[in-house]
Amino acid sequence: MGRPGPSQTRHHEWRTSTRTAATVTALALLGFYVAWPWLPWVAEPATRTIVLYGFSILGPAFEEGIFPAFQEEWHSRTGERVAFSSSFGGSGTIRNQIALGAPAEVAIFSHVGDALQLVDDGVLSRAAWQDLPSRGVVTQSPLIMLVRQGNPRAIQDFGDLAGPGIGIVHPDPLTSGGAIWSIFAEYGSALLATGDELVAYEQLLGIWRNVVAQSSSVRAARTQFDSGFGDALITYEQEAVLDLVLGRLAADVVYPARTIMTENIAVVIDRNVRGSEQRSLVEALLAFLWSERAQSIFVDYGFRSVNASLDARNPYLGPLSGVFHAEDLGGWIAAYEEIYLSVWKSRVLPQVGT
Amino acid sequence: MNRRRRSPVEPRPALPTAILLAVLLPLLLMPLFTIYVFALRGGPLAFLDAALEPEAQFAIRFSIIVAFITAAINGGLGTFAAFVLSKYRFRGRGALNVVVNLPVAIPTVVVGTSLLLLWGPIGLLGQYLDPLGVQPMFSLFGVVLAHLFVTFPYMLGAVKPVLDELEVTYEEASYVTGASRRQTFRHVILPALKGGLFTGALLTFAHSIGEFGATVLVSGNLRFRTQTAPLYIFAQFEAGNIEAASAVASVLATFSFFLFFVLLRYARPAQRRSA
Repeated sequence: MGRPGPSQTRHHEWRTSTRTAATVTALALLGFYVAWPWLPWVAEPATRTIVLYGFSILGPAFEEGIFPAFQEEWHSRTGERVAFSSSFGGSGTIRNQIALGAPAEVAIFSHVGDALQLVDDGVLSRAAWQDLPSRGVVTQSPLIMLVRQGNPRAIQDFGDLAGPGIGIVHPDPLTSGGAIWSIFAEYGSALLATGDELVAYEQLLGIWRNVVAQSSSVRAARTQFDSGFGDALITYEQEAVLDLVLGRLAADVVYPARTIMTENIAVVIDRNVRGSEQRSLVEALLAFLWSERAQSIFVDYGFRSVNASLDARNPYLGPLSGVFHAEDLGGWIAAYEEIYLSVWKSRVLPQVGT
Repeated sequence: MNRRRRSPVEPRPALPTAILLAVLLPLLLMPLFTIYVFALRGGPLAFLDAALEPEAQFAIRFSIIVAFITAAINGGLGTFAAFVLSKYRFRGRGALNVVVNLPVAIPTVVVGTSLLLLWGPIGLLGQYLDPLGVQPMFSLFGVVLAHLFVTFPYMLGAVKPVLDELEVTYEEASYVTGASRRQTFRHVILPALKGGLFTGALLTFAHSIGEFGATVLVSGNLRFRTQTAPLYIFAQFEAGNIEAASAVASVLATFSFFLFFVLLRYARPAQRRSA
């Protein structure tokens, strides 16, 4: 390589300066794009925000239904615009995030157990949700089964899931509330039908031997089922009904002869609600959740209302038979200890791998 | 120089190239291609709709902001660390050298967990901050902390080898010819480092854009607040919104493609100069 001639040097300089100019322009454009929402002529006046965490299947009902409705109602009442910041995931996942400091002001758990756990963790000072309407139960949905179109494996009841060669996609009870409800249903349906604990144990074990994939939440399990894994999925009726409403359900719904009604709990995380003005806003949202308007929205999105007369709004809600509640299993705490801990965790889980 | 560079290249590279492409097709190219197929499945308008969704736009912007901050801080910190580890001899240097490179090997989930257990309300330090109303986790700050940890070795890895190779004689020559410390840094060390600084910062930036494992634990995954683009993709995919997930995924993939395109084009002449 010879010494660069003057023209080469000039050429080199020219290229360097073009490059520098291009880089600076690209960076400026990127910076402009990033800063856009905060630029003075774009930015909207500051609004108060409510932070809400919910279990996995609540996403559509809140984002498209409850949030806009409350914003409209609050605006017409006070002239103020409020914003929402939300996160949806497995009930156990969000409970743990809140225990570790996530800034949720309102949380909606799949079951009361996650709320009780927050009391144990010292996040909540007491079980204040019990003072809310319906003792904190804001939505309900029975568990049903989704099977492949035409039901090729002829699955009619939980017992059929224990049959040979059936593949089940199941959420993981470590992070999913729906998974714990499922375990209650898988065991409780047999127990309440026969009164025989051994039969119930056999059914639970048979089902769990057929689990081919576990996901972090009911919603994630559904995505896995939709991607072609497994023959059956135990899920909330809401999941299926919403898709029926939207005309996009690519599976068959099976209502078991006996199934459990899940009761989903709304909780205010007091320590994250700062100031009395914010508190009254959060309380207004809570009150709104049990209003006829909000409960109707829940029904439209496939839930069953705590006000049963509203359920008639949604023709896709199927006829239910043999519905039982956690109460019929001795209450949520007893069911958790006797079915989840003593049977599933201590006896079924160790057997599944063998 | 160009001619000498080209000489070891085989004249007819058809067969090895074909083999490489055949191997890369299922490993790299097809998975990337799939993202674009699903992103564009509903047509270009549906793609634009999904990509311009305010939630998605926020997530992309938030990711870029986090990556900028991370690259800026680790750019300085990594260079400083490289300088100290390369130019000074002290007790424990070997051990420190290993520790600063550890983030490459530690699972990102562990990084997220350890940050929560340090800064969270029950954490070693967090328990003293919590009563003061200071909550570093589940915020921009927490996400940046996680990204600083995870991307620390990249800047170091890009700058330290250059410093290690930089002959002391150049510096000495500079001093001997009467240059000051500052002049030596500006005219001798900095030009040699330029390529490394650029590569390191861009690698840090790119890695931060894609970080998932630690972020998912410390961000709280809040829409319009702390949800990064990879978290948005994951949440949308889990919710079954494959088009929404793929749209943002393809935007990220294209963005990364440009980053590395720039990286490869710029890094080469810099290396040539420092060699």
